[in-house]
Amino acid sequence: MKEESTTRRGFLKGMAGMTAAVAASPALMASGNPEKENFYGYDEKVVGLASKIKSAGSIDFNYPDNDSPCKAVMVNGQIKAYSLLCTHKGCPIVYNADKRAFRCPCHFSEFDAELDGQMIIGQATENIPEILVRVDGDKIIAYGVNGLIYGRESNLKG
Amino acid sequence: MPFSINDKLPLPPVGAEKKNVTCEFCIVGCGYTAYKWPKGTSGTPKRNALGVDFTQQQPALSGVWASEQMVNTVRDRDGKEYNVMVIPDANCVVNQGQNSARGGAMAATLYNKSSFTRDRLLDPQVYAGNNLARTTWEDARDLTARVLKKIIDDDGPDQVAFKAFDHGGGGGGYENTWGTGKLFFKAIQTRSAAIHNRPAYNSEVHATREMGIGELNTGYYDTELSDTLFVIGANPYETQTNLYLMHWAKNLQGATVAAKKKEFEKGETAEAARIIFVDPRRTVSVVNAIDLAGKERVLHLRIKPGTDVTLMNALFTYILEQGWEAKDFIRKHTENFEKTAKANKTSLSDAAKITGLKAEEIKKAAEWMAKPKKSGHRPRTAIFYEKGVIWGIKNYENIASIVNVAILTQSVGRVGTGVCRLGGHQEGYVRPAPPKGMPGRQNLVVVDAEAAQGNYLAFFAWGCNPFVDSIMGERLATSFKRRSDIVKSAMSRNIGADNETMADAIYRACKYDGGLFFIDVDIYPTFKSEVAHVSFPAATTMEMNLTSMNGERRVRLSEKVVDAPGTSKPDCLIAAEIANALKALYEKEGNKEMAKRFEGFDWKSEEDAFKDGFAGQGAKMDSQGGPTGTLATYDLLRANGNNGVQNPIVKVSNGKLVGTRRLYTDNKFGTKSGKAMFQPTPQPPIPKQVANQMKKYEFWVTSGRLNEVWQSNYHTSRLPMPSTRWPIAPVQINPADAKAKGIRSGDLVMLYNDYGSVRGVAYVTEETRKGELFMAFGFPNSPVNNIVTDFVDPDTKIPFYKGTAASLRKIGRVEDIADSMSFKNRV
Ligand code: SF4
Ligand code: FES
Repeated sequence: MKEESTTRRGFLKGMAGMTAAVAASPALMASGNPEKENFYGYDEKVVGLASKIKSAGSIDFNYPDNDSPCKAVMVNGQIKAYSLLCTHKGCPIVYNADKRAFRCPCHFSEFDAELDGQMIIGQATENIPEILVRVDGDKIIAYGVNGLIYGRESNLKG
Repeated sequence: MPFSINDKLPLPPVGAEKKNVTCEFCIVGCGYTAYKWPKGTSGTPKRNALGVDFTQQQPALSGVWASEQMVNTVRDRDGKEYNVMVIPDANCVVNQGQNSARGGAMAATLYNKSSFTRDRLLDPQVYAGNNLARTTWEDARDLTARVLKKIIDDDGPDQVAFKAFDHGGGGGGYENTWGTGKLFFKAIQTRSAAIHNRPAYNSEVHATREMGIGELNTGYYDTELSDTLFVIGANPYETQTNLYLMHWAKNLQGATVAAKKKEFEKGETAEAARIIFVDPRRTVSVVNAIDLAGKERVLHLRIKPGTDVTLMNALFTYILEQGWEAKDFIRKHTENFEKTAKANKTSLSDAAKITGLKAEEIKKAAEWMAKPKKSGHRPRTAIFYEKGVIWGIKNYENIASIVNVAILTQSVGRVGTGVCRLGGHQEGYVRPAPPKGMPGRQNLVVVDAEAAQGNYLAFFAWGCNPFVDSIMGERLATSFKRRSDIVKSAMSRNIGADNETMADAIYRACKYDGGLFFIDVDIYPTFKSEVAHVSFPAATTMEMNLTSMNGERRVRLSEKVVDAPGTSKPDCLIAAEIANALKALYEKEGNKEMAKRFEGFDWKSEEDAFKDGFAGQGAKMDSQGGPTGTLATYDLLRANGNNGVQNPIVKVSNGKLVGTRRLYTDNKFGTKSGKAMFQPTPQPPIPKQVANQMKKYEFWVTSGRLNEVWQSNYHTSRLPMPSTRWPIAPVQINPADAKAKGIRSGDLVMLYNDYGSVRGVAYVTEETRKGELFMAFGFPNSPVNNIVTDFVDPDTKIPFYKGTAASLRKIGRVEDIADSMSFKNRV
């Protein structure tokens, strides 16, 4: 396990030496290159076009399966994508493009789209899971999920 | 992370051990279920102890799910490893399956050697020349007892001071308040006592008690039935979360109208509630209430700090002028009305000038609270207050002025009403009084101020952090450090000596050289450990059986789930260790009389302390259980599960404890006459100390809590999410002030005044107004109390934590802090 993952999510920090990490987590393994983690078991999926995000501001898609709504947005010239299921009790969170943040209408948790989904305020115990995407030409390709999606025992269910 | 997963949960197998746990954090006391199962075994997505089919996506709101913070791995004293899952209990009436950001992380707070809780205190420690070194219980308690004995014998027990929790929840509970109370008050017999978050041993709500109304007199269900919720000096979304989200929210959205119709009188108007906030800040609670109820049903009185009494007196006067007071009730069940009405007379226009509010706003608040409803019935108003006024300009009048309005409008005892503190932590009080009793509230010793000035020979800091939670924190910390060093050098000179020699050296350093023997009891090392000479490791929620009551007096047994780390013990048993060690010393000396004082600590478990205290004392002691507390047993409480029983217990019926939903339904109040007593409450002046700071320094500074941070940040500064969100205390600055000072969000800033200085990180936001700063409270690495004055209300000895003045200076920027936390507007 790397000291720090590419995504800098707090809970991945400082995990060096936690040997159980890999064993308990078959799907997530560090590849050795801190810039690129391999999320085993996840299928790569084209989820939209970069040009569309540039014009529309965001695109909705499902990943890793159809029960998991997600949104890709453009922040600071970068495409970032997140699960839309609130990590508190699973309500669909709503994107505020001006604030570049998501807000949950159920109990008002807010997540920062510019900071890996950090909870700005709210009642979730986890930041919002980030969908890892890369851009290939105009294609946006999802290749993994960082963080457990609400309502699942595994992101890759079944 | 407690758990080494990222995208997959371990699941409890069918048959996994299942326990009831009450949230260890805030007053709301949400119910949780803990599952525990041997590592290596596991449920499957289809078959597991949760009874959930995880091959299907769980639905929103009603779904059962655990986030990564809700699971952990522990090693018990049997040497075996277990997985633990702690999730909110859908069957608990308090939270109905919902967690907050704090409670939801309870599993993560468990001791796990390979996580951020790895620095839990495992064994007792004594100062060994350079640092604290681990030792045996026998050694630590023997040394402690020997020093204490010398002080008690030669200087009297009042030279042993203690500052300790008096509450419920984690780091408290009936077992532990009883154990510590019995040690200090019955055995040692000191009166030099202070409570965890304040400098003396006092109630925060003397006024309401003296007016005949206990401070927790309603039930959460009743707040679903209120017509108007009046909230002053409180921010419940962040600090009483599930009361706000699971009870008030429903009422504000009109989802409880059917229930109202059932409970109200025939023909009485039943609509969605309206809510009034009195707060200088635009809080998250206000903003979210507007989302829930709509703008028209939310009134935010953005009051000038320190003028709450004027507002309450104006409401009182206006309601009276309109003839909206509860005439019949006042005549039959109250006293001191005429005198109070005269003394408190305040016109709307005067009040507007003083409070900075518009007369119209005050009028509107009065209407919502007291104007008869369409049906002609008196509105059911529930009034809530907390630290914004408790720790305000003058504790006694602040509370009394609020209770006056409650009595005037009969906002107590009836369905949907109440006049209550919202509370911080849960409650758990049962303690004896010291033999001669405590002095009256006006003569209480301000222990922290005495300690700062060099008084006392020994000081216990028990489950609290005086450096963070007291007045003039910087001066107190400096004094502790200086006096501790005197003892440390004496100890260093005697390394290797037997305990009697060492105790003698310590005693002499204290008695003749100005030293202070400092004993720390806690679960983690803190800055105070640096001044400690002996440290005892304590157990907390889930590591022991623990009983407490929540803000509606609901008592639960929070069951033991895991073994406490290392050799750590429940506080009640630590108290017993110390008492028994002192008893042995007196017995050895043949001093039977003194040995007898230290009897009654032959407890094997926390249940023994519960039987002796809450269930054993009844009306004999100051106990929240009252005379019928004696009906409670662990078995009965366990049978009542996470719904427990609301104090006072009425009876046991069919093996179930039956309690009390709401107090004062019979209009019999806790005064000699049985009548609720009005109290004249003139607007208090700004205290001299604070006025001086205001003259010299630019900003008004207030402080308060953040949703994600609990108490002195002991667990939450370690948990990944809150510690990343809030690496140090934020200082909220209005954009206009920030601009004038050239400060941006993320800059490190310093606040300073005559009392000290404190660093924080600038958070530019409209939450605060121009000229007013707000700093988060309780951060050991940036304690706002450094700049709090030494003022306490002379009538109650409660400090004015919420008001000081300071100037603001930009230090610069630490990019790692500035880049890792969000500075987006929370409102
Ligand atoms: S609202 Fe309070 S009691 Fe409930 S889960 Fe949160 S911190 Fe715990
Ligand atoms: S479900 Fe999103 S805040 Fe509760």
